[in-house]
Amino acid sequence: MTVTDNRVVDPPAATAVPEDPRDPRVRLAAFFDEGSLRLITAEDDSAALSAVGRISGMPAVAFANDARIQGGAMGTAGCAAIEVAYEHAVRERIPVVGLWHSGGARLAEGVESLHAVGRVFAAMTRASGIVPQISVVLGPAAGGAAYGPALTDVVVMSQGGKVFVTGPDVVRSVTGEQITADELGGVDAHGRRSGVVHVTAPDDTAAMVQGRRLALLLGHQGQLRTADVLDLDLGGVLPESARRAYDVKPLVNGVLDSPLGEESVELQAKYAPNMVTALGRLGGRTVGIVANNPLRLGGCLDSKSAEKAARFVRMCDSFGVPLIVMVDTPGYLPGVGQEWDGVVRRGAKLLHAFAEATVPRVTLVTRKSYGGAYIAMNSRSLGATRVFAWPTAEVAVMGPVAAVRILHRKKLAAVPAEERPALEAELAAEQEKKAGGLERARELGVVDEVVLPERTRSALAEAIATAPSARGAHGNIPL
Amino acid sequence: MAEIRAEMVASVWKVAVAEGAEVAEGDTLVILESMKMEIPVLAEDPGTVVSLAVAEGDVVQEGDLLAVVD
Repeated sequence: MTVTDNRVVDPPAATAVPEDPRDPRVRLAAFFDEGSLRLITAEDDSAALSAVGRISGMPAVAFANDARIQGGAMGTAGCAAIEVAYEHAVRERIPVVGLWHSGGARLAEGVESLHAVGRVFAAMTRASGIVPQISVVLGPAAGGAAYGPALTDVVVMSQGGKVFVTGPDVVRSVTGEQITADELGGVDAHGRRSGVVHVTAPDDTAAMVQGRRLALLLGHQGQLRTADVLDLDLGGVLPESARRAYDVKPLVNGVLDSPLGEESVELQAKYAPNMVTALGRLGGRTVGIVANNPLRLGGCLDSKSAEKAARFVRMCDSFGVPLIVMVDTPGYLPGVGQEWDGVVRRGAKLLHAFAEATVPRVTLVTRKSYGGAYIAMNSRSLGATRVFAWPTAEVAVMGPVAAVRILHRKKLAAVPAEERPALEAELAAEQEKKAGGLERARELGVVDEVVLPERTRSALAEAIATAPSARGAHGNIPL
Repeated sequence: MAEIRAEMVASVWKVAVAEGAEVAEGDTLVILESMKMEIPVLAEDPGTVVSLAVAEGDVVQEGDLLAVVD
């Protein structure tokens, strides 16, 4: 396999002859490298077409619905064409991409079409964790065509895309709710509210670029060349005050070869934004980033963010993508809403995901790591390959002041109010030395090494490069 | 018109803008205090602060309106 370049350029424009933009051949040709398209199923009235081609030189499979025929509705023949794409991808061990624009199962074929759509779902599930699966939603994808993308690893949606089980008309007739198709299942609905869509794009061309980029990141991961990893001073992202929240994304951008929005791709950027999940490269090799974002919810873990990260960790593990985990979290978000939302059940997914992961996974504690969130963020106890901490980092059950207010409640209550702050500070310093300091964490071996911000890139690269490469033996269930 | 709402229970530590102020994307509108952290709430788009719904010292619940930017 020759891959010309890790950068993804705009797909070549479709041929000059005016063609229906919904023609699946036109879409597939636009998706793959110019001149690389080769159809593997017939152009017929099945409303689906499968092909092989190249993405920046990397071989891949793709299929597209034909929205010109019955709105792209899938019957037995169309589903069989998609199965051909999957068989080819699994046999060749290459990524498979779906360009979706379909109303779902063909009504006229009745239960036969339901059976066929179910077979596609089964093929997707069998391929899960074996070959990367990317969905690019270009038009309405309803019913069975909604669950198709949802079963794949990453879902990209163009501005014109919509995903729903039942459309606005059915919703209105059953529940009386008035809503447009776009409000119900467009980029805002799924990019921000539901988390169904991982990446949103302003138009079809941009959506295809993101689909190509993601397929290349997962399908052509490259070798980490430590000599190519230049150190930068990353410490500038931290505010002066230890209490002040900050955006973690500049730090993510600093660690990766190319910033988010260029060759790196953030997944579910607007859903559970207190946790950043992103694919990019370090030293040329694909890595996955999991990072608390203190700017949102103070960087607290909550039920949604834990589940979001758990799925991402399992995806990376299933494809052998090493993980870099950036930690700055005050803990789990307290609240009735969280408890009733299943923060215990959904938080357990993150513990499970990290503990089972066999890929190299390196943790960097930038500022603080407290309590249950400390454990969940790829701690030593869950099997982190290496745990780094910046010199100012704190690792503890809780902050020292909060700890002494509980541990020394009586002692603090016994002194006059004006002496309380001084005593509290004294006890906190003692507590920090005893339980919260970095030194203690190093003695225990839960932090391996204190690294300077200006040495962090090379330390992360070295840790990943020297760890044995591995890949989890599991699929990527859409948690 | 963008309604900026609190993401979590917090107290309003500082109000950084006045009604009528022009803000750019990423400008701090208010700073909340929660989980012993100062959490800036930023403008997602450029615009004018049409109204401020909170004052320093207020306690806000998740989903409460903080400001409207147009």
